[in-house]
Amino acid sequence: MTAYIQTRFLLVRRSKQIEFALLQEISIRSEGEREVFVSEAMIHFVLLISRQGKVRLTKWYSPYSQKERSKVIRELSGMILTRGPKLCNFVEWRGFKVVYKRYASLYFCMCINQDDNELEVLEIIHHYVEILDRYFGSVCELDLIFNFHKAYYILDEVLIAGELQESSKKTVARLVAAQDSLVEAAKEEAASISNIIAQATK
Amino acid sequence: MNPFSSGTRLRDMIRAIRACKTAAEERAVVRKECASIRAAVSDNENDYRHRNLAKLMFIHMLGYPTHFGQMECLKLIAAPGFPEKRIGYLGLMLLLDERQEVLMLVTNSLKQDLNHTNQYIVGLALCALGNISSAEMARDLAPEVERLLQFRDPNVRKKAALCSIRIIKKVPDLAENFVNPVASLLKEKHHGVLLTAIQLCADLCMISEEALEYFRKKCTEGLVKVLKDAVNSPYAPEYDISGISDPFLQIRLLRILRILGHGDADASDLMNDILAQVATKTESNKNAGNAILYECVETIMSIEDSGGLRVLAINILGRFLSNRDNNIRYVALNMLMKAISIDGQAVQRHRATILECVKDSDASIRKRALELVSLLVNESNVKPLTKELIDYLEVSDNDFKGDLTVKICSIVEKLSPEKIWYIDQMLKVLCEAGNYVKDEVWHALIVVITNASNLHGYTVRALYRAIQTSGDQEAVVRVAIWCIGEYGDLLVNNIGMLDLEEPMTVTENDVVDAIEVASKRHASDLTTRSMCLVALLKLSSRFPSCSQRIKDIVTQFKGSHLLELQQRSLEFDSIIEKHQNLRSALVERMPVLDEATYSGRRAGSLPAVASTSQGNPLQLPNGVPKTVDAPLLDLLDLSADEPAPPTSSSANFLQDLLGDDILSSSSQSGRIQTQKSGTDVLLDLLSTGSPPAQNGSFTADILSISEDNNNKTTVNALNGLSSPVVTSAQRSHTSPVMDLLDGFGPNPTLPNNGPTFPPLVAFENSSLSLIFKFSKQPGSPQITQIEASFTNKSSEVYTDFIFQAAVPKFLQLHLEPASSNTLPGNGNGSITQKLRVTNNQHGKKSLVMRIRISYKLNNKDMLEEGQISNFPRDL
Repeated sequence: MTAYIQTRFLLVRRSKQIEFALLQEISIRSEGEREVFVSEAMIHFVLLISRQGKVRLTKWYSPYSQKERSKVIRELSGMILTRGPKLCNFVEWRGFKVVYKRYASLYFCMCINQDDNELEVLEIIHHYVEILDRYFGSVCELDLIFNFHKAYYILDEVLIAGELQESSKKTVARLVAAQDSLVEAAKEEAASISNIIAQATK
Repeated sequence: MNPFSSGTRLRDMIRAIRACKTAAEERAVVRKECASIRAAVSDNENDYRHRNLAKLMFIHMLGYPTHFGQMECLKLIAAPGFPEKRIGYLGLMLLLDERQEVLMLVTNSLKQDLNHTNQYIVGLALCALGNISSAEMARDLAPEVERLLQFRDPNVRKKAALCSIRIIKKVPDLAENFVNPVASLLKEKHHGVLLTAIQLCADLCMISEEALEYFRKKCTEGLVKVLKDAVNSPYAPEYDISGISDPFLQIRLLRILRILGHGDADASDLMNDILAQVATKTESNKNAGNAILYECVETIMSIEDSGGLRVLAINILGRFLSNRDNNIRYVALNMLMKAISIDGQAVQRHRATILECVKDSDASIRKRALELVSLLVNESNVKPLTKELIDYLEVSDNDFKGDLTVKICSIVEKLSPEKIWYIDQMLKVLCEAGNYVKDEVWHALIVVITNASNLHGYTVRALYRAIQTSGDQEAVVRVAIWCIGEYGDLLVNNIGMLDLEEPMTVTENDVVDAIEVASKRHASDLTTRSMCLVALLKLSSRFPSCSQRIKDIVTQFKGSHLLELQQRSLEFDSIIEKHQNLRSALVERMPVLDEATYSGRRAGSLPAVASTSQGNPLQLPNGVPKTVDAPLLDLLDLSADEPAPPTSSSANFLQDLLGDDILSSSSQSGRIQTQKSGTDVLLDLLSTGSPPAQNGSFTADILSISEDNNNKTTVNALNGLSSPVVTSAQRSHTSPVMDLLDGFGPNPTLPNNGPTFPPLVAFENSSLSLIFKFSKQPGSPQITQIEASFTNKSSEVYTDFIFQAAVPKFLQLHLEPASSNTLPGNGNGSITQKLRVTNNQHGKKSLVMRIRISYKLNNKDMLEEGQISNFPRDL
């Protein structure tokens, strides 16, 4: 029912036959509240934030608009970066829970539902970090800055649709390596024709 | 070659951005890069496409707009090579989300890639589909995904399983197609496949009751065996985490068993043994082990009763609670909240520990513990628990005080054994954290005070002392002012002393001092100051000796910048000076407020007042049905048109006479009884217990006043005495005298003056319905008054209920506040809200409106939207 009404709304809006003078509040709220309709993934988003509040990686499994995304990041970095070292790794936020863990200068954060297993999510974070560590060979923040796309590729082998995909670090490493070698092979092939593409993919 | 696109390498760009010292420098670098990427995009340049996209992704992460790169993703995905596709899909997931229409264009490429011969390309497509699929894409591509569940490579099967989760969540109708493939996946040995298949199975069970039954019958035994194997498996380095074999798999298995066992005794029986084994054998010195135990406890709590297992679970929680690790304590508190409904006694045993957690330095733990404490309180432990919490209030962080006071107040309100205890505790809270309490809290306190007639003296003396020591807490000042105004004589004369009280001597001048101080304090806001003025007016009659002094204080407010204060000051001054005979009756003590009515109103559970077709324009905000106790009514209600005398309950007197917004939060312009006339204002003012014999003269007084002076002032004076809300409700009327004497003239709006419109069901779903009732004022056909009433047929209470509406430009919409923001369930009660719509193209176009209703159901945000275009014509 609600979905039906919503699609009708979108149609109305697109056709622009009626110009609605929206109440200001509606236009402000509509940004964030669409998420209510969407069924929920276990992990809504993954954030990597540096201690200075710089974003190093974001992955959204539930729909958030651009505006909403930057708001979420602002809010959470304000909450998480100020927490003391000995406190628990969970913060309650807008009816969700954010599980975070600090590794050196980076905070790994994952947002989950109220009734999900927080301890397990801590374990998932650690799982991801260990895989990164193996891949880069004792990973540091700079690795993730200059090779941010690699960090994404690895995350895509660990999580899909906000759910855990693989519990074996070895398997993930093997899959990522196989794909990397595919890229290398393509590069070499291209290099033999011209070296332009080789430059670009570095 | 385009000179702009030769560009820098990705690595160089990142270096350049990192080298920037200021935000402006960074913007400049980004602008330059974006310009060259745009140039490349418009030239449709192929060579640097994936490098440009990588750059764009980095720029996107810094928070700059990158929409111009979206089409580039699609082009890369359509390219034949793996490297292009890999970066293209990454860009797709990063730069786009499911709401963008561009996404529709990618469906075809996805379909091709799902059928690709290269398994890694299939993997990329599945990953992208799983992360950002929209409902349309899910529908289009479901057959491909379903087929891939049987793909030869397990790594594709696991991706397909997670992708299926997204699909069935977007399009639940497709769930049945996946039931059989999942059943066979559950038999696999590959951990990744097993992990994802279990997850998909759990989601299928959530969506479809049939699937749940099917899996319960066919798979419970198998899954129990898988868990057994996982728990007892020998050391496997690939899956080992701190000595435990694949905790992720174990946790998921426990979760699916919980779903299968819930509400089914047979299935629960099957899993008893293995749960007991997990609960006893799992190591609890590492996080992974605790995660399993935590999941296991939750499963034990949810499946059908087995006494032994529950004891085990509660013991684990007890161990968790005394753990030094904050994470473990946090989850223990979380879990105990669920356990409380199962074994309250066992949770009570940990009360002391939980109470300690309320005082923890960690905000997350404090919050959880406070929630838990409020569930733990009962009649037998309310006194010591409240004392602990109030003691803690003194030392707690300021940002925690808000939450804490709300909880204490609700505990005290719900479980107070006697009134004196309630009043004592509330006073303590108000003195400690009066600035943090909500208005309803001190409103409720006043209601209780009026009802405790034997405690009036005690309370007012306690408050007088409190105001001396805690004058900076707004709420305590307000309650004190109100009580001193009402019971000032008891304060001075030490009437109604209780044994436990120490006698004190307070002179009339001291009392007036106290109020004067409060009224002049910088921090006092309009409400407090208005209350001070009303209290002073009341005292002027209670303490005749101070009358002159009070008059001086009141007069000082004549110059106030705040209109409300200025007006009150003028009015009260005139009452003190000119209307001695009227005054004593005006400032009679408040009648006792009916607690039931009040709490009923707060809960919004009063039956909605059916509106009659008597479209009377004067609509008072307090339209609760009144009981007849007002002889004056007959005198004033001369109009023969009025079909039935309005009736009144004491609750309204309090509201009207208080002269501030006490109670109005719940009733402000809410339930509006159309059948009311201006006489009510007078009625409310004068019927506070004055003997009927004098009625005639009173009426005469008022009438003569209105003739003596400038009409407007006097009538407003009387209105001002009642409530600001009333004043505003009447503002639309041209002649104030008319308001007063509305009854004399023929009722200006008889129903036949305008066309009537049938009520309209504006919105209806399985639980919520919204009905619009229309009325028009004669002479202004463009304006339509709409009364919206909401009913909730489900059994749950909706809180934070907000109704919003939007109209096209040719309409003007005015929304008045709703009667409440809480909508009780089972249809017993409703929220009403007034809308006024002005149609500038009346006769040419009819009304149209979009509505949005948001509320919280069990703390979950819900949202309904709709468009109403079937309004009656001619509105």
